[in-house]
Amino acid sequence: MDRNQRHRSILDSLGEELIGILTPVSICMFTVVLLVCLLNSDPSSSSSSASFSSIATAAYAESDSDSSWDKLAGAFLNSLVFVAAITVATFVLVLLFYLRCVKFLKFYMGFSAFVVLANLGGEILVLLIDRFRFPIDSVTFLILLFNFSVVGVFAVFVSKFSILITQGYLVVIGVLVAFFFTMLPEWTTWTLLVALAIYDIAAVLLPVGPLRLLVEMAISRDEDIPALVYEARPVLRNDSVSVQRRVWRERNSSQNHSSDIENAPREDEVVRVVRVETESEEEDFGLSERSEISMPLIDRSGESSETFLEGIGLGSSGAIKLGLGDFIFYSVLVGRAAMYDLMTVYACYLAIIAGLGVTLMLLSVYQKALPALPVSIMLGVVFYFLARLLLEVFVVQCSSNLVMF
Amino acid sequence: MEANLSPNRDRSSNPNPNPNPNPNSMSSIISSGQVWPTIDGPLGLTEETSVDYARRFYKFGFALLPWLWAVNCFYFWPVLRHSRGFPQTRKYVVRSAIGFSVFTALLSAWALTFSIGGEELFGPVWDKLVMYNVADRLGLSGLA
Repeated sequence: MDRNQRHRSILDSLGEELIGILTPVSICMFTVVLLVCLLNSDPSSSSSSASFSSIATAAYAESDSDSSWDKLAGAFLNSLVFVAAITVATFVLVLLFYLRCVKFLKFYMGFSAFVVLANLGGEILVLLIDRFRFPIDSVTFLILLFNFSVVGVFAVFVSKFSILITQGYLVVIGVLVAFFFTMLPEWTTWTLLVALAIYDIAAVLLPVGPLRLLVEMAISRDEDIPALVYEARPVLRNDSVSVQRRVWRERNSSQNHSSDIENAPREDEVVRVVRVETESEEEDFGLSERSEISMPLIDRSGESSETFLEGIGLGSSGAIKLGLGDFIFYSVLVGRAAMYDLMTVYACYLAIIAGLGVTLMLLSVYQKALPALPVSIMLGVVFYFLARLLLEVFVVQCSSNLVMF
Repeated sequence: MEANLSPNRDRSSNPNPNPNPNPNSMSSIISSGQVWPTIDGPLGLTEETSVDYARRFYKFGFALLPWLWAVNCFYFWPVLRHSRGFPQTRKYVVRSAIGFSVFTALLSAWALTFSIGGEELFGPVWDKLVMYNVADRLGLSGLA
């Protein structure tokens, strides 16, 4: 139980764990930017607001002719409605979890995954086919789409599925939902992102926040929260004699094995906050509601597993988990930046990654539930406006005078 | 303490039904000398549960789901590679592989005929079947 040895081993595996969470976030953002660039021929916001109505545009539908002040006020109203809807939905989720309706929640998760993959996935594929005039026939297309969605539901539903495929499907779900969110009107998108960042802080850190309640219930019952959460592959430590298994509920058995480190698991359990996404309502009304829940990330950090390994030879997985809502809103930010120019995309991408790194660092310092959205979103928004207002002028002048490309 | 970690931990009364079939690759697989049936290795399933999973995926694949068969083969790739271990799982995985190849051959034959043949082969029916026209007719592509 050498302290120095523990810290060195954490630093060794920290890079691998960070890459394990940065890679899917980057892939998600890259795919959304790609889709936005391919499919977005019309930059004006009026047409997009006409074709995509959701609960986020219920209060105010933006149009080009409104003044800036009207747009700002309308966007603010939209965000308020959306955040209120999310709060209500989160409290409903907390209530259901409290009443132990876990089966219903799992079924709902699978159902929402199916709706997202079949409906939104199908629409995006149709848009792509239309754009590239790909000569595929409807029968083949339907079979492929059906396959894709049903296996996606399996990946989300079945508990011990292939890690790679589950991760892939979660990223795909994130990409699909994020792409549809980028079609909201511009002012609404930005105010919505800021509002959600503030909501995230409130919901996780306030003692009455729904996410905090959910986390505490999950910890006290030692259960997994039934929601769409991306879990990175647990890092295998080569220097240890034994190999970590992805243990789902065996923490209790490992606690019983050694009485002298019985209090260790609770202290070493690092809880992070992530967002989780659940979806309700059908698309046929033209309304689609996204409800979000921030969830703590249960990270049994390297410290606890190392002590277990030295004591009894059984470790619990130290996998990093990040909620799907975080993926989605990072990608929405970057996708919206892509609608302006690629320069803002680079700025926002770096800002978001830096924010994610800061969040993980704060997590290791504070060792309690932290929201994953605020730092990245705030940095991203600031960088977007700085790049758009200040950087672009500078770079364009430099390029046109052949000073710098 | 290695005994705690091997998959035989819960079947300590049974003799090991899974002798390492390939001693040359033992060092390259894992230090505990055990071959795991899933591609996730020690993070995946044990052998008993993998039979159950392979069977269920195989049966579900008959509902026009060749992709599920392909995922089955991908997930249990070590079972396909080491032909002497995991006899029961291998039965289902091999059948899934065969099913996937057959279905893919048929489907790609149809799709390629459709896309390469085009209107010359099919006549006016081609325009009715091709996806972008169907989407236009049903109004699905009106989002962008």
